[in-house]
Amino acid sequence: METFKILQNYFQQLPIELQLVWILSSFLACIVITLSIYLKFLRNLLRKKEVLKIKLQHKYEGLLLSYLFEESNDNELSEHQNEFIKIIQSKINDDFKRKIIVETLLKLKNEVSGEIERAIQNLYLKSNLKEYAYQQIKSKKRYIVANGIKELAQFKVKEAYPEVKKLLKHPKKEVRKEVELYLVSLFHFEGLEFLNNLKVNLSEWDQIELLEELKHFENQEIPDITPWLKSKNETVVLFSLKLAKIYNKYEIVDTLIQLLNHTNQKIRLQVIDVITHLQVLDAKEILKNSFKVRSLEEQIATLKMFENIYEPNDEDFIIENSTNNNFEIQYSALKMLKNISEKSFNNLLKKNNNFDNNILKFIQNN
Amino acid sequence: MNETKNIVLAEDNTTLSQLLKFRLQKEGYTAFIAQDGKQAIELIEKHNPNLILTDIMMPFISGLEVISHVKNKLKLETPIIVFSAAGQEEMVLKAFNLGATDFMAKPFSPNELIIRIKRILI
Repeated sequence: METFKILQNYFQQLPIELQLVWILSSFLACIVITLSIYLKFLRNLLRKKEVLKIKLQHKYEGLLLSYLFEESNDNELSEHQNEFIKIIQSKINDDFKRKIIVETLLKLKNEVSGEIERAIQNLYLKSNLKEYAYQQIKSKKRYIVANGIKELAQFKVKEAYPEVKKLLKHPKKEVRKEVELYLVSLFHFEGLEFLNNLKVNLSEWDQIELLEELKHFENQEIPDITPWLKSKNETVVLFSLKLAKIYNKYEIVDTLIQLLNHTNQKIRLQVIDVITHLQVLDAKEILKNSFKVRSLEEQIATLKMFENIYEPNDEDFIIENSTNNNFEIQYSALKMLKNISEKSFNNLLKKNNNFDNNILKFIQNN
Repeated sequence: MNETKNIVLAEDNTTLSQLLKFRLQKEGYTAFIAQDGKQAIELIEKHNPNLILTDIMMPFISGLEVISHVKNKLKLETPIIVFSAAGQEEMVLKAFNLGATDFMAKPFSPNELIIRIKRILI
């Protein structure tokens, strides 16, 4: 008590600035102490949760393996198998345990094929986990809906198609992305039908994910992509151009040539890239004739394209561009000219002294 | 009487390794499970198995390093089956160059694996 009074008197005698500093320091010290206690509590909680998770994982792994080996012996479900199904059903509403069960099923399902994969699939369907995923896709929270769709795709629940398809126009991007992946992973190229009416943008990442998913199928017979190349949605056009390149769609050459006049430069550039890949000779004259009105990026891309498919009759066009102010164009043109006709290349050097010596040396030595 | 054949299985997916262990035991083999490459090498040195099954991507020491250790350091002729995931084609080629006997791409059928094991261990 005495000490407190001494401290109180000392504090009162201090100038107001020092009093404020003391108050602030005490306040901050209280916050630090509270946060430290909270963090320690949180860390302990997370550790306990992690330990419990590992324990449950082992438990469910054991039950799953018993289930699988018993099923392979008999078509009828045994008492143990029914017991596991009942355990799953009883944990469905416990978010933590249900997640661990689903993770355990997926952990094995993703690594095996054949009858064991089918048995895991059947277990998912029999244990009402599917019904829970159906409930999830009706949730108002976007991440729950997205998770539900993802799970239905992972367990290949094709019957959910009508419900999932309704979400194609969902306002949230995460949900739309999962719907698209569901359609493609379960219905393969047919699942790409959603592109016919897609109004929203398909991000670069979404496109990569869809292409990755398409790579996994044995049947690589892709449907006609011409309608998507003519889509008003520019991201659909860009995605279709990627499909054209990956799946070597030679039959869409006419549409590609039309797209050389698209209003979007990014699309025009990608068209030149696809034309280069498919080596469309018909596009050469069109690109030569429109070369001067094209943007610098397109001009560079055109010269890169010519590097792969140039012919002796392209010499005039190449000579014309060998004095271009742009380094990349000039370099490509000189390189092609040297390959087409060494004589024309040397004549050009004699006539024009303005070439960069470094470029010339490099071309002459390569 | 036939002697039981030992198999070391290196796989970091515990559910898959348990499943394969059950299958191998059911077929009469003795399976030793390693969850990473380091444990696999220890088990190989300890048990000198008749066959090694190893995943390519594992913590600490990869499947490729396990093969290299077995073939170059221990100088063993033990057959090795490698598990690979999609997109690991280059790794599989490296595994063959190092001395792997066979490979199975994930997801694979455990029944098919057993058939391959039986053919190798005849």
